[in-house]
Amino acid sequence: MNAIIFSAIMGVVMMFSGIITEKKSAISFVAVVALFILLAANIANTYGLCSISINTHDLLHFSKFGLYFNSILITAALIFVLLSGSAVEKVGNYAADYYALIFFVLCGTSILTSFNGLLMLFLGIEIMTIPLYILTGADKKNLKSNEASLKYFLMGSFSTGIMLMGIALVYGANGSFALTTPAAVPNSAGVIPVSFLLVGGYILLFVSMCFKVSAAPFHFWTPDVYDGAPTVFTAFMSTIVKAAGFFAFLVLFEANATLLGPSWKIMLTFVIIATLLIGNITAVFQQSVKRMLAYSSIAQAGFMLFALYTYNDLAKEGILLYAVAYCLATIGFFAVLVKVKDHSFDGFNGLAKAQPVLAFSAVVFLMSLAGIPLTAGFFAKYYMLAAVIKSGGSFWIVLVALVFAAISVYYYFKVIQAMYFKSGDPEIMEVSSGYKTAIVLVSLLVIAIGVLPSIVLNWFYF
Amino acid sequence: MNTVQILFFFLSVLAIFSAVMVLFSKSPVHSVLWLIAVFFAISGHYILLNAQFLAIVNLIVYAGAIMVLFLFVIMLMNLNANAEPKKYWWMKFAGVISGGCFLVVLVSLVQQATELTGKQALVKEGNIGLIKNLGKVLFSDFVLPFEISSVLFLSAMVGAVVIGKKD
Repeated sequence: MNAIIFSAIMGVVMMFSGIITEKKSAISFVAVVALFILLAANIANTYGLCSISINTHDLLHFSKFGLYFNSILITAALIFVLLSGSAVEKVGNYAADYYALIFFVLCGTSILTSFNGLLMLFLGIEIMTIPLYILTGADKKNLKSNEASLKYFLMGSFSTGIMLMGIALVYGANGSFALTTPAAVPNSAGVIPVSFLLVGGYILLFVSMCFKVSAAPFHFWTPDVYDGAPTVFTAFMSTIVKAAGFFAFLVLFEANATLLGPSWKIMLTFVIIATLLIGNITAVFQQSVKRMLAYSSIAQAGFMLFALYTYNDLAKEGILLYAVAYCLATIGFFAVLVKVKDHSFDGFNGLAKAQPVLAFSAVVFLMSLAGIPLTAGFFAKYYMLAAVIKSGGSFWIVLVALVFAAISVYYYFKVIQAMYFKSGDPEIMEVSSGYKTAIVLVSLLVIAIGVLPSIVLNWFYF
Repeated sequence: MNTVQILFFFLSVLAIFSAVMVLFSKSPVHSVLWLIAVFFAISGHYILLNAQFLAIVNLIVYAGAIMVLFLFVIMLMNLNANAEPKKYWWMKFAGVISGGCFLVVLVSLVQQATELTGKQALVKEGNIGLIKNLGKVLFSDFVLPFEISSVLFLSAMVGAVVIGKKD
C-alpha cells in the first residue's frame, strides 16, 4: 500500500514544486529525492518495517513477488530520471507537471503489481496509460508528437473498451471481480461444464492485454507512438510501463490459463511467434534508430511472453531478470539516443571517436538487448527459454526464438558498426561529466548482472 | 405478456435498432444522435431493473455531457465525404473476417452459457441499484477503488491543463 499512497502524494508534491521554483534542475532534483523516498517506502513495505495497511476488502494482494517487482520498476524510474532528467526538462515548459504525470504512472504500476481483482486491474491500467497519452503529446509544437498522442489515445481507449467488455463477461459468470473462479461442479453426467462467459471474457482480456504490451497482431500503434513521442518519454513507456503491463498479464493469466484449455497454448504460441516475427523482421528494415528500437521493443515483448507460456519458478525469475535487463539497457540506450541529434543510423557515424564513453556504454546496452553473453540480456533470454524447456514445452518454439534472437543481433550491431567502423562527424548535444559517470555506472551494472544474475534474483528470496 | 415484458422488448428493439443505425448512418452527426437514442433505451432498461440512480446518471453523463461534447467535436472538425480516409478492400475483408469470428464467439457464448439458463433478470423488484444500497457498497466494500480513481481524475486534469495551456 505504501507505494500507491506515496506515489500519488509525490505526484502532487511535484506539481507544487513547479509553483515554488522556476529552476528546472531543482525540479529534477526534487523528483530524484521523491523517487528515493518512494523506493524506501516500497522496500519498507516489502520487509514489513513500516507499512500502511488498510482493509482493502481483498481487492489488493501484496506478495513478495509483486513488491519486489515494484521495487525494480521504481529503481528503473530512478535511473531514468538520473540519466535523462535534463532531457525531460527540455521537452516543454511544464517539467514539474511531466514529473507529476510520471509519478501517477508509477501509482498505476504499483496497483498493477498488487492487484487482486479485475476492478483494480482496470483502474491500474487506466492510471498507467492516461498520463502516458499526455506525455506522448508533450512536445506540442511537433506535429508527429501530436499525431502519436491522438493515435495512442484513440487506440488505447478502444482496447480499454475491449477489456471492459471482457471484465463484464467475467463478472457475469462469477458474480465478482475476483481473479480466481470457483471450481465448477461436475454436472449429472460427470462432465465439468465449460463456462462460456468466462472463456469469452478471458479471450477479450487477453486481446486487450496483448494490446497494452504491444504483442502482435495488436502492435500497430507501437512504432508510430514510440517514434512520435519525445525520445525521453519513449524510453519511459517502452520500459517501466511495459514491464508493469507484463506483470499484470502474468498474474491475470497465471490464475486462469487452465480455464481456456488446450486452445490457450495454441493462441499464445501464435501470438509469441507473430510478435517475434513481426518485431524482428520489421526492425531490420528501419532507417531510423528510434523506430528500430520501437520494433525491437515489440520483439523483446515476444520473449517476455514466454513467461506466460510456462509459469514455473524459473519463468518467474526470468521475468524479473528480463524486466531488469530490458529496462536498464533500453533506458541507457535511449539516454544516449537523446544526446545524438540525428536519429538515423548515419547520425551515429563516428560516435566512438567523438564520444568514446558514450559509444562504449551504447555498445554494452545494445549487446544486452541482443542477448550477448556477459551482459544482463543474455541471462534474461536464457532463463526464459530454460523455463520453456523445464516445463516440457515444445522444443521447436525455443529454436524459433533463438533464430529470431540471432536476427536481432543484425540490427543492434548496425548501430555499433556505425559508431566504430564508419567515419563521420556526429552532432551531439552537450554531455556533462555527471551524465557520463551515470551512464558508465549503468553499463557496468548491466555487465555485473550479466556475470552474476543472482545479485538480482537473490533479493527475491530474502 | 405483461407491461414489463412489453416494455422490455420495446426498449431492446429500440436499443439494437439505434445501435445498428449508429453504424449505418453516413453522417457522423446522425450517428451521434442515434447513439443518444441507444443511451435512452439502456436507461429505460436500468429503470426496469429498479436502478433509478444508474438510469439518471447514465442519461446525465452519457447522453447529456459526453454526447454534447461529441457533437461539438464533430461539428468543429467539419467532416465531409471528401475527408474520409481511403479504405482498401483487404482492410474491409479483414474487418469482416475478424468481426464475423467475434460475432460467432459471442453468439455461441450467449447460446451455451450455463450461467444464463433458467435465470431471470430481477425486473421491478431488485434493490441493488437503489441509491442507498449503491452508496453503502461504494463506501464500504469498494471504498479503495473509489479513492484510487481520484488519482486517475487528477492525472487527467493535469494532462488537460498541460495540453490546453498556451506556451
